[in-house]
Amino acid sequence: MPSIERLKDMLLEGTGARLLILPALALIGIFVVFPVIWNIYISMTNYALTGPRARAYEFIGLENYVRILRDPSFYNTLRVSFMFTVFSAIIGQAFLGLGLALMLRAKEPEGVLGKITKALKITASILVFIAWIIPEVVAGYAWSAITSKGGLISMLLGINDDVYVRYPFETIVVANIWRGTAFSMILFTAALEGIPQYIYEAAEIDGAGPWYRFRHIILPLISQAILVDFILITIWTYGVFTMPFMIVGPSGQGGVAQIWTLYVYYDAINVYEVSYAATAANIMFLIVLAMIIVYLRAIGYLKKW
Amino acid sequence: MAVVVLRIAKIVALWTLLVVIALFFGIPLVWLVLSAFDPNASPEFRIPSTISLRNFMLLAEPVSGVPPLMWIVNSAIISTLVATIVTITSILAAYVLTRYSFRGQGAMLTAFIVFRLIPPLILALPIMILYRSWGMMDTIHGLVLAMSALILPFTMMIAESFLRSIPVTYEEAAMIDGCTRLGSFLKITLPLAAPGIATIWLLSFVTSWSQFVLPLMIIKTPSLMPASVGLQFFFGEYGRVEYGKLSAFSILYSLPVLIVFLTVQKYLKRGIAGLVSR
Repeated sequence: MPSIERLKDMLLEGTGARLLILPALALIGIFVVFPVIWNIYISMTNYALTGPRARAYEFIGLENYVRILRDPSFYNTLRVSFMFTVFSAIIGQAFLGLGLALMLRAKEPEGVLGKITKALKITASILVFIAWIIPEVVAGYAWSAITSKGGLISMLLGINDDVYVRYPFETIVVANIWRGTAFSMILFTAALEGIPQYIYEAAEIDGAGPWYRFRHIILPLISQAILVDFILITIWTYGVFTMPFMIVGPSGQGGVAQIWTLYVYYDAINVYEVSYAATAANIMFLIVLAMIIVYLRAIGYLKKW
Repeated sequence: MAVVVLRIAKIVALWTLLVVIALFFGIPLVWLVLSAFDPNASPEFRIPSTISLRNFMLLAEPVSGVPPLMWIVNSAIISTLVATIVTITSILAAYVLTRYSFRGQGAMLTAFIVFRLIPPLILALPIMILYRSWGMMDTIHGLVLAMSALILPFTMMIAESFLRSIPVTYEEAAMIDGCTRLGSFLKITLPLAAPGIATIWLLSFVTSWSQFVLPLMIIKTPSLMPASVGLQFFFGEYGRVEYGKLSAFSILYSLPVLIVFLTVQKYLKRGIAGLVSR
């Protein structure tokens, strides 16, 4: 048996200290890596949430995959998820975030006018920031309330009904733009701050108009930020669950707004078909994985650049 | 003259845009605050005729057999445990990652980026299945462990970049003066990394505080629920919602997050900026 001294040596010096990484690896191994693998196994069984198939389930091979690829509701959720991600992340968050970042760095005039401009800028950016950090369930609740019958949005639209029932897809798209714009705003603000002031001044002296300056000076200089922003917000938006869950429920108002996370939840919890839900989750995970690989490639490319 | 008119038009255009944006982002938040102080709250957007704290007082009284304040206490306990586990394990791991080199280190860092970007639902579903057979459904320790693992890849990256920014030479100097290797880390580097450690603790606290999917899948007993899922009981049957109480609860539940983000704001912005200028 090794003496206490030797144990201490092993632990505190040299190679033994490397073992300090083990608690982290164990946690991730058991609760991240293993579940992902287990999900693959479950998708090849007929496991259900309740009933006899919850206790004694069987291996059924790729049956679930064959079934899901013939399931129209699966193609519906694929389409809804794709549209949700494009409208909410790229068209919504990225453009609004870039617009906000440009507005925030616009020059403030002298005197009172400048003070008002500054106050408006601070107010707007603080509200955008708060929308991003409050717990997701709170954001989901607030949106489901103001889009309910009698809420402000239904009043503005002149609808005597729940807006999230009449326009479920539009509601979750707008709500998610509201939720996530802050990230793009902060990222683009940082990127714009990285552009030296003299470049603008030189362009202005040379007589470049605002559009020309944006298109030929700002845009090329923040192209890295745009790339990183697009990929990250696409991955995040694609994986969104909580707010749509709170606003349109797991069925996504009869499938109209059923993004894939809702689809997986609905299959597993509402109709007890856990293995089918796992099958859908695995296919969707492959798509996320492809996006993550694009992201890794992109940051690898930027590093070399 | 024309120049002045143009300049004023520009300013007015900027103001209009900023006001529209502030309204879009502000309305749900303002409604939340107004309805929390409105004893007769409804989805309607209005200034309460009487402002009262009644909704907040009522949170001490049971909803579905559990006083809502208890869900906040549960959240505090769960998040404290998660933040502490996550901070310690990520500092230890980051120590190894920055002070030693071993085979597969690059691959490991890449793997953490992948783990950090996996949508939580992808993990929550199989974890629920596994917990059913491990007998860990409906347990606080089950939730705490899964939540820690979910947050760990994110905090580990922060810890790694923090420790990397502190030169190893300080530790080497201490070792020459007779300190052990780990001793020099504990006595020299750790105090220097204190602001980073605090940031990691706070960020993991609020991340776990806001987490919804995992407790939704794992915790079924109302008295064990954290605030994020306990909140569902304010939605009564047949779509009846207790707006006033729910808004009051939402505000109490959001306060710690707001406070933490105001304190770590600067660091957060630097972190996001770091994504573009590496």
